[in-house]
Amino acid sequence: MSRVEGARKMIEITGLNKWFGPFHVLKDVNLTVRDREIYVVCGPSGSGKSTLIRCINQLEYHQEGDIVVDGVEVEKGGKNQSLIRRNIGMLFQSFNLFPHLTVLENCTLTPMLGLQTPRKEAEETAMRHLERVGIADQARKYPLQLSGGQQQRVAIARALCTRPKIMLFDEPTSALDPEMIKEVLDVMVELAEDGMTMICVTHEMGFARQVADKVVFMDGGEIVESDTPKAFFSNPRYDRTQAFLSHIL
Amino acid sequence: MTVVFEPKPSRPAPSTVVGPAAWLRQNLFKDIPNTLMTILGLYIAVTVVGWVLNWAVFNAVWEAENRRACLDAVGRSGACWPGVAEWLPNMIYGLYPKDQVWRINLGFLALIVWMVPLWLGGVKSKVAIGLSAVMLYPFLASYFFLGGDKGLVWSALIALGLSGLVWAWATALCERATGLSVGEWLGLKVAGATDDLKQKRVRQGAMAALFLAGLGLVSLWSLPEVRTQYWGGLFLTLVISGIGITFSLPAGILLALGRRSKMPVISMLSTLFIELFRSVPLITILFMFNTMLPLFLPEGSSVNQLVRAIVAVCLFAAAYMAEVIRGGLQAIPKGQYEAAASLGLGYWQTTTQVVMPQALKIMIPTIVGNFIGLFKDTTLVSIIGLFDLMNMARAVGEDSDWLGLFIEPFFVVSLIYFAFCFAMSSYSMGLERKLSAGRDR
Ligand SMILES: Nc1ncnc2c1ncn2[C@@H]1O[C@H](COP(=O)(O)OP(=O)(O)OP(=O)(O)O)[C@@H](O)[C@H]1O
Ligand SMILES: [Mg+2]
Repeated sequence: MSRVEGARKMIEITGLNKWFGPFHVLKDVNLTVRDREIYVVCGPSGSGKSTLIRCINQLEYHQEGDIVVDGVEVEKGGKNQSLIRRNIGMLFQSFNLFPHLTVLENCTLTPMLGLQTPRKEAEETAMRHLERVGIADQARKYPLQLSGGQQQRVAIARALCTRPKIMLFDEPTSALDPEMIKEVLDVMVELAEDGMTMICVTHEMGFARQVADKVVFMDGGEIVESDTPKAFFSNPRYDRTQAFLSHIL
Repeated sequence: MTVVFEPKPSRPAPSTVVGPAAWLRQNLFKDIPNTLMTILGLYIAVTVVGWVLNWAVFNAVWEAENRRACLDAVGRSGACWPGVAEWLPNMIYGLYPKDQVWRINLGFLALIVWMVPLWLGGVKSKVAIGLSAVMLYPFLASYFFLGGDKGLVWSALIALGLSGLVWAWATALCERATGLSVGEWLGLKVAGATDDLKQKRVRQGAMAALFLAGLGLVSLWSLPEVRTQYWGGLFLTLVISGIGITFSLPAGILLALGRRSKMPVISMLSTLFIELFRSVPLITILFMFNTMLPLFLPEGSSVNQLVRAIVAVCLFAAAYMAEVIRGGLQAIPKGQYEAAASLGLGYWQTTTQVVMPQALKIMIPTIVGNFIGLFKDTTLVSIIGLFDLMNMARAVGEDSDWLGLFIEPFFVVSLIYFAFCFAMSSYSMGLERKLSAGRDR
């Protein structure tokens, strides 16, 4: 039995279809993520993993199907995107910190600007999150003065400052050296243990084994297989999954 | 058993690669062609500088009644400076009445005074002070330069300029001395308030009081009108290019954003405007505005010639600036927009806080280059009969006493243009260095 059985549905995707021009990227995708649940999404390059999670916070618009985030239906064409995005934090492969702002300013920008938090309060919150990811002593530096792993941890702190209920990760460690991958994964594990709802696109199978509730395998825009890590790694049902696993394990 | 790895200590580099002697050998006398080029370059430089010095200083005539006297004394081997000296006030102030010239001097002094806090250490609100100068100073300057009857609206604007200047300095001094903004300091000292809301009230109150004081002062203050027909020389050049520069940046930003807009109508209109003004020479635009604008206006109303020239220059400059800014916007990676969007920032928040600061920073050299180009392009207004610095210089040689004296005034004009343009470009280099310090690896 899953540890989140019966919990609130945070993300519910039904019959999702998306096209880039004539190219059918996502085909009839169904996915339900409950509160505090951790999903790991893997699959070959070009299988539509990024597109799937980018549809959730409307960085890409979908054409068919329904996406419901924490009870709110995502309208097609991004009409209520700001409402949707407020509850979702997102991490990118290339960190995407704002290079002209200090680490601290990166973290306080949205709370102060978008959420009208007073500066002092925003800075205190930011410092708390920076401390949590272990970067508090670098708060006055500029992002480009930090290592890749440190930058990605700052990005996590920055996302947390907007108090998201859901976090989306798009290959957060694949631009990093092995020594730095661990420091970022450690933070993600801690987040997971604190009860964040997460969807992680990653090929870090150790991470999947450790914290994931479900591992999802995508190919050609479809969800091929979705199972608990134990079942997924020990006896995958589809040959495609087996082939993929034999490549990366 | 494990062995502890010990890195080797670094040694200083050998003297063959560092120090002045090594630099000379590597850069100036590396091999035979390199040495020859060095010698040739030095020879040319010395000769040219020698010629110029001989002409402009050693052989020059410093006192004479008219050009004939100069020619009799040294012929063409030396410069004839008295003519330039006699005309210099005109080259700088145009035909502005002599007893009113102090207004121009004071007006430009006010701008410098306004800008001084930007160079002071310990001032935090430099951006705000710079912006206030750009947006409010023109109102103050307009009255200094133009004078005459001021209605209620103009009085209010002038007062805004005056109080802006005072506020800028108050901010600078307060921040330097206490590290607090004026609002915070006043709030603390006067009202003992520590929370944001009360401090905001105190700040607004202080600003309003300052404005009213300014308004009172302005109503007591009256300057005789100097019509724009009398404006000329360097003064006119600075007015036209100053307005052009100040207008072109914000207008260029809006046009560039418009051109990239997802709304087809806005993007089409912006593109049309930009392409239209970019594909016509400035001279043509000046001519068109000068001759055609009056035709479109209702009978009886007339637009000052200077205003026509300024409008033409502004529109032209805005179109060019728009393309520069668009270049900067295109250099911003898509990830920056996506990060801002995923944090929930809206269009204007993303534009003003995330995208524009970065785009403007990359584009500083090009933007300043454009400013310099615009500054020099204003010489074209002489075509429609305005006596800017360049046209005034030509007038020297048409004076009956100094008939044919062209080289000397143009030499001086070149020096003046060089001084201004060089100052702008050095400032931009300094700004670039300061902004990138510590931010790039
Ligand atoms: N903006 C776009 N326009 C057109 N096609 C796109 C666009 N973005 C992605 N695609 C295509 O959609 C497909 C899925 O892309 P997506 O980025 O979702 O794959 P992915 O599974 O994340 O791959 P990777 O592991 O390389 O990140 C790819 O074939 C890609 O070429
Ligand atoms: Mg991807």
